[in-house]
Amino acid sequence: MSEILNANPTIRNASDLPSRRRQDTTQSLSKTPKGLFASTVPASAYLPDPFSPHSLDSDLSEDDDNEIEPIDEQEIYDLISPISDPEHPLTLGSLSVVNLPDIHLTPTFPEKGAASPLTTLTVLITPTITHCSLATVIGLGVRVRLEQALPPRFRVDVRIKEGTHSTAEQVNRQLGDKERVAAALENGTLVGVLRKMLEGCESGAA
Amino acid sequence: MPSPSSSPKISLLSTLSPPSSSRAWLTAPHPALPLLATCSSDKSVRIYSLTSFTLLSSITGGHKRSIRTCAWKPNLKGESVLATGSFDASVGIWRKYDTDDLNPKPVITPVDFDARDENIDEYEDEEWRFAIVLDGHESEVKSVAWSAGGNLLATCSRDKSVWIWEEVGEDDYETIAVLQEHEGDVKCVAWHPEEELLASASYDDDVRLWREDVDDWGCVGVLRGHKSTVWSVSWEEVTPKVYGEAEGKEDGENWMKRREASGPRLLSCSDDMSIRVWRRNPKEQVQQSRLSIIRNGSSEEDWVEEARLPVAHSRPIYSVAWSKTGRVVSTGGDGAIVVYEERWRQASAEPTSKSVVAQPNENGKGESSGSGPMDGVGTDEEPTQELGGQEEKPAEGERYQQATEWLVVAQFEGAHDVFEINHVAWAPRRDKGGGSAAGQEELIITTGDDGVVKVWTLDV
Repeated sequence: MSEILNANPTIRNASDLPSRRRQDTTQSLSKTPKGLFASTVPASAYLPDPFSPHSLDSDLSEDDDNEIEPIDEQEIYDLISPISDPEHPLTLGSLSVVNLPDIHLTPTFPEKGAASPLTTLTVLITPTITHCSLATVIGLGVRVRLEQALPPRFRVDVRIKEGTHSTAEQVNRQLGDKERVAAALENGTLVGVLRKMLEGCESGAA
Repeated sequence: MPSPSSSPKISLLSTLSPPSSSRAWLTAPHPALPLLATCSSDKSVRIYSLTSFTLLSSITGGHKRSIRTCAWKPNLKGESVLATGSFDASVGIWRKYDTDDLNPKPVITPVDFDARDENIDEYEDEEWRFAIVLDGHESEVKSVAWSAGGNLLATCSRDKSVWIWEEVGEDDYETIAVLQEHEGDVKCVAWHPEEELLASASYDDDVRLWREDVDDWGCVGVLRGHKSTVWSVSWEEVTPKVYGEAEGKEDGENWMKRREASGPRLLSCSDDMSIRVWRRNPKEQVQQSRLSIIRNGSSEEDWVEEARLPVAHSRPIYSVAWSKTGRVVSTGGDGAIVVYEERWRQASAEPTSKSVVAQPNENGKGESSGSGPMDGVGTDEEPTQELGGQEEKPAEGERYQQATEWLVVAQFEGAHDVFEINHVAWAPRRDKGGGSAAGQEELIITTGDDGVVKVWTLDV
């Protein structure tokens, strides 16, 4: 990693990054970049998770441990945008490696509706240059961050956005291989790199 | 149409206790005793009783990373031998004298591979003893398998190689082949139930078959067709079982004759969410087939894709297993257990794949699976084979092949709550609840990302 692969990446201003006022704003104000109109959105404007089996239950008891927290694309974005690029002191959000429109939450079994709690999360990442050899590590960082932060009902698919990388298919295969990902997380060197990338995230690293 | 009387139901019999606290990869049923060995990412193997459903002993301390796989050596008396394969690139061989009582007696045997010689005499009879480590693979070992006779051990790895080891003396193993023709991780190895013929499944989307020709082990067949990683392969029993009644007596007899000449078939399951059945064309009947391999040597075998099982999974299929009674079970990332049967096709009726969907039942209600009855596959239509892109049946026009069809006969969604299921196996039922057909009834054993091993009955 001695040679910087992309010396002059395009960087977005923090104020341009998609965000939303969070309920725990007092703690995260300093960390979370704010959108221009974010403060005008009341906290109660959270939309319920449309894929949550409970979202239509009006009389849901509050002490139900199995209650599924509504999670939307913005929340996913907030989990992964602070991840640091492995070769720049910049976040994946500011480098536009991760982008809100490229995050998709869909029911894993759409035909089953509320009967299945499983949700497929697809994140398409856009490497800063088309031959970036660090794409796999970046993708792994995103997958690890999401698998650690999200409940197990999520099926996380991290892929390279079409047309943005020369060996996308190869990278996608690796990122989608559960066994390879599990083994990578037992590799001390790689875990060190991932830990550094995830330092900026709220609840710790790999 | 399948008759209503033959609609099996999957019911939870037991959840093995205590579970692993982290991902469990695979559970291997003992070939003779009511024991299960479960490999876990916590670097241990748990030995559970299949009669009390509790933990009997553990193998810990040998491997430095996740234990991904294990296999019981067959045909032993008085002693059990287990091979383990780990992400630490090593294979361990472990031994334990069989004890009459299988009462719970957790035994921890910390072993350091580097200091084995000094330690080996200190263990008592009823403990697991570390015998030998087989080093050679360059990266994670993914699967290990003993040949039917027990004298050969096959191992495979992310290093793209398959190794065959021969036991040449007590705890003495020799490498007799290093097979390197796969172009990606080798995910699974499985031996033919009778012949010294090995199948391997790979990240390169292929299944390869290997056997010894004169003095050298070599690839004798490549099974191409899957569109992504082949996660697992499983052989059919020597004696096939087809359900229902053959429409024409002659068709049934011809099919059986043909099947006898071909020998056991092979199942493969893949990340492409398909399960395929492969059949050997007997030598004297080799025909031109667009799926056949190029024949360039006398030991080459001609294998063709005979059938695809109905599409029933919507995430990668990690494991498939063929039972002694001819049923097939599969599982994977969608957390579903699906059971299939091969039935005599009723020529008069339209092809049908109507499946019977298991309802969560009394045994299952203690599970907080949160999943209701699912009707995803219960349609009256032939499941479309979207992923394969090849609608037409291979080797069409061969009448015997049309004699049978595969149907989904039972299904259980959310079998490990919301978790993925990594492995499924069949084991004979051994507990007292087994009923009149004791020893005949087959259990389904599932192993999940939740670290849990579950035992299911198939109520026929």
